[in-house]
Amino acid sequence: MNAEDPNPAATPTPCEDIQGDGRWMSLHQRFVSDSKDKEPEVLFVGDSLIQLMHQFGIWRQLFSPLHALNFGVGGDATQHVLWRLSNGELDNISPKVVVLWVGTNNHGHNPEQICNGILAIIQVIKNKLPNAQTLVLGLLPRGKMPNPLRERNAKVNQLVQEAVSSLPHASFLSVDPGFVHSSGSISHQDMYDYLHLTPRGYQAVCEPLHAQLKSMLDEPSEN
Amino acid sequence: MSGDEVNPAAVPQPVEDVQGDGRWISQHTRFVQECKDAEPDVLFVGDSMVQLMQQFEVWRELFSPLHALSFGIGGDTTCNVLWRLQNGELENIRPKVVVLWVGTNNYQHTAEQVAGGILAIAELLRSRFPKAKIIVLSLLPRGERPNPLREKNAAVNGFVRSWLPRLGQQAQFLDVSKGFVHSDGTIIPQDMFDFLHLTLTGYRSIAKPLSDLLLQILEETPEERRASLV
Ligand SMILES: [Ca+2]
Repeated sequence: MNAEDPNPAATPTPCEDIQGDGRWMSLHQRFVSDSKDKEPEVLFVGDSLIQLMHQFGIWRQLFSPLHALNFGVGGDATQHVLWRLSNGELDNISPKVVVLWVGTNNHGHNPEQICNGILAIIQVIKNKLPNAQTLVLGLLPRGKMPNPLRERNAKVNQLVQEAVSSLPHASFLSVDPGFVHSSGSISHQDMYDYLHLTPRGYQAVCEPLHAQLKSMLDEPSEN
Repeated sequence: MSGDEVNPAAVPQPVEDVQGDGRWISQHTRFVQECKDAEPDVLFVGDSMVQLMQQFEVWRELFSPLHALSFGIGGDTTCNVLWRLQNGELENIRPKVVVLWVGTNNYQHTAEQVAGGILAIAELLRSRFPKAKIIVLSLLPRGERPNPLREKNAAVNGFVRSWLPRLGQQAQFLDVSKGFVHSDGTIIPQDMFDFLHLTLTGYRSIAKPLSDLLLQILEETPEERRASLV
């Protein structure tokens, strides 16, 4: 990619209301207004994988006690999260940790573009919340059998992990407990549609994530 | 709608794998396989509203005990469900009740067409399972505030309600759409977390009347059939 070309994955873009019921903007506005009367220690931001986590028992069990807010929107790609965070979702809060999980919906973008989209989000978080740490979660494999999107997500993870290692305000966490079996397949017991997690899948992802968050919240010294 | 015109919402169609990970056909293939392994008394068919229900406790509490299978795929339209049912998802099973819940994703189609698509699926179910009951669930309102899709879904429900009796006693419409829209016109995220998909609380409110109806139908199953299934 020519360095002069604008990267669509790193260009803040609101989601177009193609369906006509205004749900995306409703969710964004709700997050902005939610943030005005809450004081979260941890903010979760991302796509449906973040959003659905909020719907299952695991959220109340592990993350509500940490004073966590959830700003997940199904279908969001990096450019949509970038727009939301640049337009009010970070303006009234000062969490210590922002958990960022987005990129698997960036269809049509290559791994470099997606990685740079994620880095652009980390930069917005840095600008708006100078004292917060961003914890970037690795993208999960998807599809029942091996396919190009699994390879793309793995490449994104490699690039993001490298890039983030030099940033004092960000870190990378792989949360894939081994969803791909030795046969190359993913079980619907972990991902019911080979993309979204079941409660069992969330359990496997959230326990190490919770441990990581606890240690980050207990050690406020990294800044 | 003239009888000569082809209703685009009643044309069977597989989902094109635009994303490139083959998830739709993987799910369909799994459902076909499940038909060979399971003997469900109740079959749920539809889109994400059906699919997500299985991920919540209500499924284990109210529907698993009835020997239910769930063939829901997120994003499916009437066309996609029709294709799945014509391509193996009704083979090797003999459910006593089929619950159908689809139509809110038919963005390309008018309310009349969507209702026609739902009816086409119900007719297919009747022809494959002449002894089974068919419950068609109403579409739900959607969007935080009043919007054209709410009006369309309400219109679909009106058509389905008035047309379904054409299929006789075997098919039944169950309206589960009431109570979600508050007096100020809003839907709250405590019921629909993204103003479309149901939370556990939302599922509980629709699951109770549905499970009551299912229990009633299963109770009425003729003795000889029940005996043969022991
Ligand atoms: Ca770092």
